[in-house]
Amino acid sequence: MPPVIGKTKCDGCGICVNICPEDIFFGSAKKQVPQIAYPEECWHCGSCKLDCPREAIRLRIPLPAMLCYDSEPA
Amino acid sequence: MKHEIVETDVLCVGGGIAGLMAAIRARELGAEVVVADKGNTLRSGAGASGNDHIFCYMPEIHGQDINEAIQVWRKWSVGGKVAARRGAAWMQTWFERSFEVVKLWESWGIPMKYRDEYEFAGHAFPGHLVMTLKYAGQDQKRILTTEAKKRGVKIVNRVNVFDLLGNPNLTGAVGIHTREDKVVEFRAKSVILGTGGCIRLYPGPTPGWMANTEWTFGITGAGRAMAYRFGADLVDMEMSYHHAGPKYFARIGKATWVGVLRDPQGKPAGPFLSEPSRKYGDVAGDVYQTLFEDYAKSGRGPVYMDCRGISDEDYEYMTYWLQNEGNIALLSHMEEEGIDPRKHPVEFMTFGWTHTGGVYFDEKSETSIKGLYAAGDEFGSGISGAAVFGRIAGENAAKFAKGAELPPRNPDEIEDRKKLLKDMRGRELGPSWKEANTALQQVMVDHASSARSDTMLNAGLNHLRRLKEKARATMIARNQHELMRCMEVLDLLDLGELVFISAGDRKETRGTHVRTDYPFTNPLLGEGLHLIKNVHGIAITDWKEIKR
Repeated sequence: MPPVIGKTKCDGCGICVNICPEDIFFGSAKKQVPQIAYPEECWHCGSCKLDCPREAIRLRIPLPAMLCYDSEPA
Repeated sequence: MKHEIVETDVLCVGGGIAGLMAAIRARELGAEVVVADKGNTLRSGAGASGNDHIFCYMPEIHGQDINEAIQVWRKWSVGGKVAARRGAAWMQTWFERSFEVVKLWESWGIPMKYRDEYEFAGHAFPGHLVMTLKYAGQDQKRILTTEAKKRGVKIVNRVNVFDLLGNPNLTGAVGIHTREDKVVEFRAKSVILGTGGCIRLYPGPTPGWMANTEWTFGITGAGRAMAYRFGADLVDMEMSYHHAGPKYFARIGKATWVGVLRDPQGKPAGPFLSEPSRKYGDVAGDVYQTLFEDYAKSGRGPVYMDCRGISDEDYEYMTYWLQNEGNIALLSHMEEEGIDPRKHPVEFMTFGWTHTGGVYFDEKSETSIKGLYAAGDEFGSGISGAAVFGRIAGENAAKFAKGAELPPRNPDEIEDRKKLLKDMRGRELGPSWKEANTALQQVMVDHASSARSDTMLNAGLNHLRRLKEKARATMIARNQHELMRCMEVLDLLDLGELVFISAGDRKETRGTHVRTDYPFTNPLLGEGLHLIKNVHGIAITDWKEIKR
């Protein structure tokens, strides 16, 4: 569900809306906290997180994409 | 629906690495250039949030014998990657000009050195040449966009070009704006396709979450599809390969992990490494396409990327390059979940079927259509190939445009396409793009993946054609964004059909193209490229001779 935007940190600058390759913020109003209109189209490229000047974005990885790992290897 | 007309000498369709490199060069040679990108060139394409290695042949490091270097690279490319199938002239051009691109990027501010030295690492056989140069590409798209704008290239973002125009001569292309109710018609003297590879034809590792793809979700073979519809030669459309990476989180970057692929008992799964090596990476994941499947089926799985025992310096090295490779989501996920690769082996897998056929273009980036050029992953050549052949495409498209007149337009061509767009926007009920895409993926994986035969392929093709007709007649788009997705799915349906036809025509087994009814690999068919083209609405197959 891809980007999670910290509403208190976000100042509505619109950079993430401008650059998202998949336009998941489609329809967002200017100078507002962006709406995540198409979360299931986010492929976690991280562009929004990289370019957010206020570090207001974190990426939540959807459950089906959780990594498999060996927590107690021999 | 508004209608805007944009006139230019050279149109670049797609503003990834290939498109921007083409645009920069064409503009330097005096052409007026427009780049149309369905995203924003600042962060679009397969290099959106970064890359960390680029193929580069440097004679002073790799030796003066270019042919020896080419042979090493071909060995690495087994298993369906495109470099193994390219002709001698194309490979020679790529190798000769790869360092030129590296030097250019360095002069523009992309960090091409690591601690002041050129650093070659990953995707290599121990003891053999290492030809992937590490570079910090996280900001590459911003830098390339700046260079393009500096030269006067016009960038049109959020326009999805979906068809070439002209009959029989190329006159431009047409697209939709992805945010406004608008058609954009481009009139151009020459056109360069740089729309990237083809994702979403087959399901990814998590079919219930479609956007979990190893490459950019929105790269859906638009260049191939529009080139085919226009009559250009496409090649090897039945060929695919499997990308390996961490299980369930589809990501490129396997060679950046400093570890060894091992079984649960800690025994190396491949023959190349017994200890982690940041210089070579474990190339078993590159060249052994069924490694993970074979281990699982034989009771020896799963296979882990085991980084235990690496030094802190190697760990920092690995995470630095993963960040540059656009893997910040993977790294933050591991941090949040407490997964430490130094302690926890991470299971690896292959992600499914990545289609590797594409638009035929030669060492001059020329396609079979006059005035139409292609570069990059239109016929997979990776970052380096995108940069080199993008630059070459820009040179030749600018030369072609010089002195040529802007061709006349035919308004009827646009009206036909507008009707399709209006129909999809106007319907109130019907399947979404995602429903159609899911239906396509299931017929592709069931009928045209690991066990192909005449009967399976024929049955699948019949189903796909019915599906295509239904999708075209009934899909709905509630807005321009969804209209863009619908157009992507229509491209994928066309390309799926070509996979079935090409797979049926290649009556042999080669790489991942396994014909259960033709298990033999015919050496004679390995010499050429398998051609498919649209002749008056009929897909015609043939063989194109290539000197390797």
